[in-house]
Amino acid sequence: MTNRLRIWLNASGIGLLSPLAIVLLLAFIAPVLIMFPTSLHPYTPGVGIGEGWTLENYVEIFSDSYYHEVILRSLGMAFSVMIFTIIIGCPLAYFLARMQSRARNWLVLLVIFPLLLNLVVRSFGWIALLSKHGLINDVLLSIGMIDEPLKLIFNLTGLIIGMTHIFLPFMVLLVMGSIQNIPVDLEEAAAVLGSNRTRVFFSIILPLSIPGLLSGSILVFILSISALVTPRLLGGPTYKVISTLIYDEFMQLLNWPAGSALAFVLTLIVLVVIWATGRFSKRWMAHLT
Amino acid sequence: MINNQSNLSPQKIAYVAYVAVILFFLELPVIVVVLASFSDTSYLTIPPQGLTLRWYDEVLSDARYMSAIYTSVKLALCATIISLVLGTAASYALIRKKVPFAATISSAIMAPLIFPAVVIGVALLQFYSLIGIRGHFLTLVLSHVAITVPYVVRSVMSTMAGTDFTIEEAARTLGADALTAFRLVTLPMIRPGLIAGGLFSFIISFDNVPVTIFLLNVREITLPVKIFTAIEHGVDPSIAAISSIMIFVTGAFLVFAERWIGFHKFA
Repeated sequence: MTNRLRIWLNASGIGLLSPLAIVLLLAFIAPVLIMFPTSLHPYTPGVGIGEGWTLENYVEIFSDSYYHEVILRSLGMAFSVMIFTIIIGCPLAYFLARMQSRARNWLVLLVIFPLLLNLVVRSFGWIALLSKHGLINDVLLSIGMIDEPLKLIFNLTGLIIGMTHIFLPFMVLLVMGSIQNIPVDLEEAAAVLGSNRTRVFFSIILPLSIPGLLSGSILVFILSISALVTPRLLGGPTYKVISTLIYDEFMQLLNWPAGSALAFVLTLIVLVVIWATGRFSKRWMAHLT
Repeated sequence: MINNQSNLSPQKIAYVAYVAVILFFLELPVIVVVLASFSDTSYLTIPPQGLTLRWYDEVLSDARYMSAIYTSVKLALCATIISLVLGTAASYALIRKKVPFAATISSAIMAPLIFPAVVIGVALLQFYSLIGIRGHFLTLVLSHVAITVPYVVRSVMSTMAGTDFTIEEAARTLGADALTAFRLVTLPMIRPGLIAGGLFSFIISFDNVPVTIFLLNVREITLPVKIFTAIEHGVDPSIAAISSIMIFVTGAFLVFAERWIGFHKFA
């Protein structure tokens, strides 16, 4: 290695960055890029990836009614989960952000705990709660509220309940962080000047916690629409969303071209959501200042 | 909440009750799994009927579960060590050096956080099949480095942002070479970020299913994937027992990490 090259590698930080760059290239960037040509090949039964080029895999996704159903279901599920985590999570986030007792850190840990616990274990807990002979149906039957078990699993209800639980901690932690940055003085000043609680909430807390709320919402949305484990376990083998359909195309049907095309559609949805929220939050910040 | 001296108004009681219900909802599946693991029936029942530890005995003497735990720990350790080394080097470069296209490089490092995991999984499956190393342990380690390194870089960079690098420069001026100055001066200062990043990395790697499930060979299977496939074959109390073991270990881990570095600050 010449001396000038060595100096440049050191000063530019490229020398320190390159080992990680090589790993990312081999274990993320190249694999994703190489999948694109696959999505443009036809599927040949028995062989897998066929010869020649075609747009058929994408055309199918945009014209087939089954794909439409699965994509709309995934979008609807992710959107519902996002709304439920906002409704359920924000009051808890506010409580924890403004709490002054020493127990606060331990309550925050109670929110973090399910987040750290393995996803399969949490989904299994929901199977035990929601299934036909699960705890919820047992309790409702024994107190006589229902006469026969409710269908709470292998459908949209089960997916939304389970995923709301699984992604709630993200929303709580992000909104909590953003409320903590609002000085308590600001609320007290408004209260002293005669604002009631509703007014304080809508004119101070809500607008100033928008950044946390927005990043929480986008995170919950993209995590919900990309989730594989929970939809697979709570949706069963037949009630499918985009990610479980990709799983089946690759692992069961061995139709890699169609699976690759669907994977790019999912990626596109995620990127569009991130891009759109980025634009919205820029405008919102400009509006505030 | 504005006036802490105020008496307990009905609204405030209702609010505290609401918070308690939500916290209970968050822990509910955990409680249910632990309860089910003690049941003396061959099917899942809550509350447990009878009281037995035989499901724990069954799981802990099952060689398949033991080898799955071994694979998971080995994989998580390898991925965490490599992530820490590469991630710290990259963070240092991004903060201290004039890296060309620094913003683009940071986004590329962080991208696996928001990229759908299932897409990364199938892309890796295809890539490794193509170059003929599918199922090799090394492919798992590399993939896990890619998905854990964002956590390391995030923790380390946030600690580095509050670090006074003039001390490192002083060490260099006094004659220490770059590596010695980093090892003796900077490394102790960024220790909390390293520990938090390492803990996150270990958990993320240990828990991962959506990428791992596409890359496993038949002989080496990780614990979460083993539980996942066991559930697909039908639920019974032995799954509740192995899940409860994970619950106890995760709980102990969290308490330990909180005492050690104040884990909640890094979440």
